[in-house]
Amino acid sequence: MNAQILRAILLAAASAAVAFPLGYFYQAWAGWTLFCVGLAIQMGFHFRNFARLDQWSKQPVVDATLEGEGAWDGIFGRLYRHEKDLRAQIAERDAEIAMLIAAGQALNDGVVLLDQQGNILFCNTMAEGQLGLEVAVDRGQPIVNLVRLPEFVSYLNGGGFAKPLTMRSDRKAERVLSVYVIPYAGNRRLLQIKDVTQADRLDRMRRDFVANVSHELRTPLTVLAGFLETLQEYDFDKDEQHRYLDMMAEQSKRMQSIVQDLLTLSSIESAPPPENIAIDMAGLIDKLRRDAEALSAGRHTIEVDADPHLDLRGAEPELVSAFGNLVANAVRYTPAGGTVRIVWRSAPQGVEFAVEDTGIGIEAKHIPRLTERFYRVDRGRSRDAGGTGLGLAIVKHTLNRHQGDLHITSTPGVGSRFAARFPGSRSLAV
Amino acid sequence: MNDSQHLSSQFDEDLSRLRTHVLQMGGLVETQVSGAIDAYTTGEVASVKSIVETDRKVNELEKAIDDDCAHIIAKRQPAASDLRLVLGISKIVTDLERAGDEAKKIAKGVRRIYEAGHMPSQYGVGIRHLAEAALAMVRQALDAFARMDGERALAVIRADNDVDVEFKSIIRQLITHMMEDPRTITTSIEIISIARAIERIGDHAKNISEQVIFVVEGRDIRHNKEAIK
Repeated sequence: MNAQILRAILLAAASAAVAFPLGYFYQAWAGWTLFCVGLAIQMGFHFRNFARLDQWSKQPVVDATLEGEGAWDGIFGRLYRHEKDLRAQIAERDAEIAMLIAAGQALNDGVVLLDQQGNILFCNTMAEGQLGLEVAVDRGQPIVNLVRLPEFVSYLNGGGFAKPLTMRSDRKAERVLSVYVIPYAGNRRLLQIKDVTQADRLDRMRRDFVANVSHELRTPLTVLAGFLETLQEYDFDKDEQHRYLDMMAEQSKRMQSIVQDLLTLSSIESAPPPENIAIDMAGLIDKLRRDAEALSAGRHTIEVDADPHLDLRGAEPELVSAFGNLVANAVRYTPAGGTVRIVWRSAPQGVEFAVEDTGIGIEAKHIPRLTERFYRVDRGRSRDAGGTGLGLAIVKHTLNRHQGDLHITSTPGVGSRFAARFPGSRSLAV
Repeated sequence: MNDSQHLSSQFDEDLSRLRTHVLQMGGLVETQVSGAIDAYTTGEVASVKSIVETDRKVNELEKAIDDDCAHIIAKRQPAASDLRLVLGISKIVTDLERAGDEAKKIAKGVRRIYEAGHMPSQYGVGIRHLAEAALAMVRQALDAFARMDGERALAVIRADNDVDVEFKSIIRQLITHMMEDPRTITTSIEIISIARAIERIGDHAKNISEQVIFVVEGRDIRHNKEAIK
């Protein structure tokens, strides 16, 4: 900087040195004029650079390089470099922030960031779907304005976040959400939202299962205990005793079949994969038809529509009992005069064993739960019909072991269709 | 300068708190309506009691919000869009409270039907569908209010027509039912009043949306068929 001042002084002194002799030897005004012209040239030079800086500072762009002249060169260069560094830093930060946001978007759980007042700062796509938010319009809005469930609002305002809140999504009624609130950076809060629909259903199934097993076993046990007490306390004649003993035998048989079915289920679940032996379907279906006719005792029409050139590979005893179960159900739940049809044919993706009936049918809301253990559409009726409540659960497991699925379609009052579908690799042409 | 800025930010805070209170009240009404639908389809009569209790909270909130509105008008003398917001809110809470009342009516009707030993759900699919449409309208009207979104509010107003049409078809169906079997008349009349209440909930959602449009755009589209087209 000293050099620059020195240069300005030297330039002024040089113009003075030229002007002084002229003024001294010629005319004074000529000397002054020359001196002023010298200074004015210097001033003009500075003004030009100043104007350039002024222009640039109004719109500091880095692609048009900023060049100064003389003393201004150094200043311009430093300013230009400073601006360029700043821009590079901002770009780097932007990239980092974008990366963090992308990480937030990639999470499997819903995430919402709230500021001190509970306004939405950020939320990922998952949370948008779960809570019905739209981050583009909802940023800066209190979250309780949009997620208005009273239990959510009081949980968020309550402050005790040790336990997560489990709530039903108000946008999609079937989804169950679990909300964790994590305080961060002072009074800000992070919401983590997990979809626990599946876990919630499993939990309910487990609870129902335990309750149902106890209930199913207790009912016959109560009857047994009642008869035993009666027999102990009173004397009956031989006939009466026989009648009671028969009833007791019936109840204990019932308990036995429940326990037997439970054991079958657990053995199917833990058994190794089934063997791969070709099953003679023509013979099997003939046997199913005879069993159905015996069970129906002439009250129903039993039809068979089987492809004679198609066989199935699998574990015969398991499949016989599963198919037999479907047929027996159809006969049981079809009023007298109805028709039961046994179908065996190739289907679009593999092969299909189906039982169709013209029975009472099942309401749509029960269908997804039919294969749950002890699930009953109508408690009284199915027990009267002699079921243990485990039949379809066993069928489902057996089919799964053979890579098959159970497809149920039904219209109340019209009839039902239970179809066991197997992949093509399990079929065999004869 | 500094003082007036302080005052105006305080005012903004008051308004935003008022809005949040209205939406909280809306949240309570939404749970009432969805609870009433659940009671109808599942027959869980136990939830009727909590719907009735929520109604008390809704009533209290209505009074508190109305009071706040009066205070804001008296103390701050709001103008333009702020005034529209306060006026709109005081009308919205009335409609919300009435929608809550209708939900209570549904719940009580459901309880009467079940206590008489009937199953309302056998007439159910239509009613359930109607009720879900009405609930969606309430939800969208409140969303439109939270987001100050006139377009969405207009969509709710248009949806009200569908609900009205569906309501009429349910009534026609129930009349056929009653003519076929006079024993169903008692239950059918209960169900008609439930359907009527659902249809009214849809109307209240429509009114709320009209107020939202008034607040956002400053135009009054009530009783104006041209404006909704």
